[in-house]
Amino acid sequence: MKTGFFSSPHVKRLAGCMALAFVLALMIGNQEGSQDDYGLAFRQAIFSPRIILFIVIGLLVFAAMTFWPYITPYLLRPGVRPLAVGGITVLVSQTLLKWSDDGRTGNGKFNSVASKAANTDGLAPMAKLFFSNYLGWILLLVTFGLGAAAILISLRALAWVAAVLGVVGGIWAYTSQAAVRDFLGTPDHSTGGGVALIGYLTLAAAALATALATGDIADTRAFVNRLLAWRPGMPLVVLGLIVGVIAFVQATWFSPQGSNQTLTDTKTFFQGNGLANLAYQYLAWLGYVLFIATLLTAAAASYLRHRILGWVAAGLGAVALLLSLITMYDMTDLAAAAGVDGATGPWQNLGSGAWMACAAFFVLAGAGLVVATLGARDEQGELAPAEAPAARSSDTLSRGFSAPGSSKVFLFVILATALFYPPTATGFWQKVLVSEIGIYVLLAIGLNVVVGWAGLLDLGFIAFYAIGSYTTAYLTGALPFKPPSFLHLSPLLAIPFAIAICLLAGVALGAPTLRLRGDYLAIVTLGFGEIIRITANNNPGNITNGPKGAFGIPHPRIELGPIKFVWGQNNLQYWYLLLVLIVIVVLLFRRLEASRLGRAWAAIREDEVAAQATGINTTRVKLLAFAIGASTSGVAGVFFASQIGYINPENFVLNNSILVVAYVVFGGMGSLPGAMAGAAVLTWLPEFLKDQVPAEDRQMWIGAVVLLMMIFRPAGLIPAKRRAAELRGLNRSSSAEVGAVPEGEGMGVRA
Amino acid sequence: MSLLEVDGIEVRYGAIKALKGVSFEVNEGEIVALLGANGAGKTTTQKTVSGMLRPSLGEIRYDGKRIDGTPAHELISLGICHVPEGRHVFPRMTVNENLEMGAFRFKRPDDKLQAHVLDLFPRLRERIKQQAGTLSGGEQQMLAIGRALMGKPRLLLLDEPSMGLAPLIVKQIFDIVREINNDGVTVLLVEQNASQALALANRGYVLETGEIVLTGTGRELLADDRVRAAYLGEEIAS
Ligand SMILES: Nc1ncnc2c1ncn2[C@@H]1O[C@H](COP(=O)(O)OP(=O)(O)OP(=O)(O)O)[C@@H](O)[C@H]1O
Ligand SMILES: [Mg+2]
Repeated sequence: MKTGFFSSPHVKRLAGCMALAFVLALMIGNQEGSQDDYGLAFRQAIFSPRIILFIVIGLLVFAAMTFWPYITPYLLRPGVRPLAVGGITVLVSQTLLKWSDDGRTGNGKFNSVASKAANTDGLAPMAKLFFSNYLGWILLLVTFGLGAAAILISLRALAWVAAVLGVVGGIWAYTSQAAVRDFLGTPDHSTGGGVALIGYLTLAAAALATALATGDIADTRAFVNRLLAWRPGMPLVVLGLIVGVIAFVQATWFSPQGSNQTLTDTKTFFQGNGLANLAYQYLAWLGYVLFIATLLTAAAASYLRHRILGWVAAGLGAVALLLSLITMYDMTDLAAAAGVDGATGPWQNLGSGAWMACAAFFVLAGAGLVVATLGARDEQGELAPAEAPAARSSDTLSRGFSAPGSSKVFLFVILATALFYPPTATGFWQKVLVSEIGIYVLLAIGLNVVVGWAGLLDLGFIAFYAIGSYTTAYLTGALPFKPPSFLHLSPLLAIPFAIAICLLAGVALGAPTLRLRGDYLAIVTLGFGEIIRITANNNPGNITNGPKGAFGIPHPRIELGPIKFVWGQNNLQYWYLLLVLIVIVVLLFRRLEASRLGRAWAAIREDEVAAQATGINTTRVKLLAFAIGASTSGVAGVFFASQIGYINPENFVLNNSILVVAYVVFGGMGSLPGAMAGAAVLTWLPEFLKDQVPAEDRQMWIGAVVLLMMIFRPAGLIPAKRRAAELRGLNRSSSAEVGAVPEGEGMGVRA
Repeated sequence: MSLLEVDGIEVRYGAIKALKGVSFEVNEGEIVALLGANGAGKTTTQKTVSGMLRPSLGEIRYDGKRIDGTPAHELISLGICHVPEGRHVFPRMTVNENLEMGAFRFKRPDDKLQAHVLDLFPRLRERIKQQAGTLSGGEQQMLAIGRALMGKPRLLLLDEPSMGLAPLIVKQIFDIVREINNDGVTVLLVEQNASQALALANRGYVLETGEIVLTGTGRELLADDRVRAAYLGEEIAS
């Protein structure tokens, strides 16, 4: 007892965990007392059973920390990660997501739906069973527990049981929710059932991985690689099959007055209404035939690795996609002419089915292209796997998804989502997609050049966005200070001017400041951002119209002879414009990253002295990064100004600059896909949580997600290879070594 | 006419005068050693020659043309390549990528030259795909020299290549320096390891607090009492 009971590390750790649990319990939920009872919030936090939950979490954390060395070997076994992800997903679906939009079965979450549904007469018995007596919770616990036990004691039979249970549970949850939805008969956007299905299927996949495991250590990447390498393009074919079958068999194609018409219903609806013949035939039989033909060719091409068949599948898919679009246009145009459900033009009242069909054709064509463009080098992939691991093992960082064509597979999936998901989203999400996600993705791509590639911390990035916006306002004549009449431009023509002006502004800011190091540069750029905003606010010489800002900036339009696009209020139109801009910028920047300039940036980031010694003009190269980043921000500014139509200095506050930096860091500094994913996730999350958690808790949830990321993926969502290495301490070893040289070797003090 | 003529340069770091009128010259094809105690100004001299620092007084002529004040990246295209003090390799690039960076001034790296460099340093060939940050100190030094060679130097500036290396490796590196010199590259070598450096060098200069105090051929300097006392730790027999 000499050392003292309280100084034992276990006791300290336990006390720490308990204290944190206590603080967390206090933080969550209602923070206000009432007029006559100031202790209300405190008592709610402490005396209601919730504190027990937090204490349990605290104990679990304590146990995990104490027994960590014993736990880690199990964590590396196959199936652990999908098990965790699946468990969390189902948990999220039960606690966070809505299971019903309709107040009659309780408001939203699983538990409130369950308590009502269990007492509702006339609900399908299986659904009633699922919701009653905590069965949903028990199912989750049993499936998860079995999966975990199977991993723990390496028992394959148990894993198979868990896998079956996972599939059953997923389908059961999904159909139960569907039963409630059908029973109520109202339009429904709740997502709980779908997410539960995904979660349970992930649990099943985890159990399957355990059951089929060959080794004791999971190598997810090798596993996915094997899947991708088996038949290039096959994942796309499978995806096309699933999406296409749902589209052609079950999904809604046309939905006037909230009716859900599948493809056959739609055909009946338009029968004898004078629909253009091609479109009618598409609805009647051509659609199905096209789908089956494309699917079979793509599958055959992929299975046989047949290039010519690949081209055929790509062509078929493209034609089918075009025909689908034509049919959708004809259909909706006709309906609009007849004034069905207040339609004012084509493309209205379409259900998700039509867009899903487009997506299916798109991915199938993509699968064909993947097969068709397999290079001669890729074809040798057949023999590569045998010798590849040995060749690669020394270079631990290039362990990407190296299967031939795998990056194209991801690309097509992402493009299909970006193209065909937004039209099926609600108006709210379309708005979020354009004015939050899209714009910040573009900004993050720009800032990634400065922060990620050149390694310069810029905290005033939004200033260039402001400059782009105000340039547009000026050139379109929306500011009190008018441009000369020959310069009065439409917004899209302002893009080159905005780029030029932002380039100049970037150079003007960079030239004097880039000699500063890290933190000083951050402070100067921060100041620059504020200067731009305050200047706009102070309105020198009545140029910027002060805090009132600029009004009536016209929407973009393109008129080139017969081609005419006019953008209006519809967010969807802006989304596609933004998508084109993003794709162009990404294509340019990918080339840039691989260019001499990109290598120079990498060198500077790694070691500036060495970069200088190899003949890189460090000042010029940094300046270029600054200017290129700035001009991307300027393009985003042009888009913003012309989309929203009015701007004022409040759009360009410091907070936005910091957010963009956070997105880039969150996504993975220096990685183009990472920066985009970071911006997309962190702009999507707050909007998503709006419907899921109480408003006052929202920031806390976001904080929790960011915290988890910092712990488990410190290099970011999709880290750049080099950055990941940096965090593993590779660069420290080199600099530490110099200092560790013994004195006797004659080095002495370093200058 | 010598390849490099340094004529009375003075370099300041703010108020500190690190070089107080240093003059020396390096002839084409020579190895010239620059010796001196810690803080004497050797690194400063080299950095000034390679264009990383700018002298406040004096002239540097290379091939007869004035180059003082010309930035480093322009001097490289004249063939002045610098291996800075302290093994600055790009830690998270592979050995191969590091060598390619050395050829940055060319549109694309010269494969023949790279093969030649790897012949000089067989250890690097074995580790061609390894991260430079994971190389041992000696390997990193070899990589730094190899990278400079990829820039096709006419004048190679080496700053303490033997720093912190085991005697065997030091010998290897000095042998390689001689080989490089035999290929026709002029070398300006900064060293603490006086005996080996002077054995290698044609001529040497001794710097002391920013001034040149002694000069001579390698052999003369090796025999000089003051050098022996200061750098070889021998008692002066007086
Ligand atoms: N960036 C700097 N700022 C201020 N003083 C400097 C700077 N670099 C070097 N000095 C000073 O200039 C003098 C010469 O330094 P230098 O690095 O040239 O010495 P050196 O001869 O290379 O020494 P060593 O053998 O220890 O490498 C030293 O007194 C040093 O403190
Ligand atoms: Mg030195």
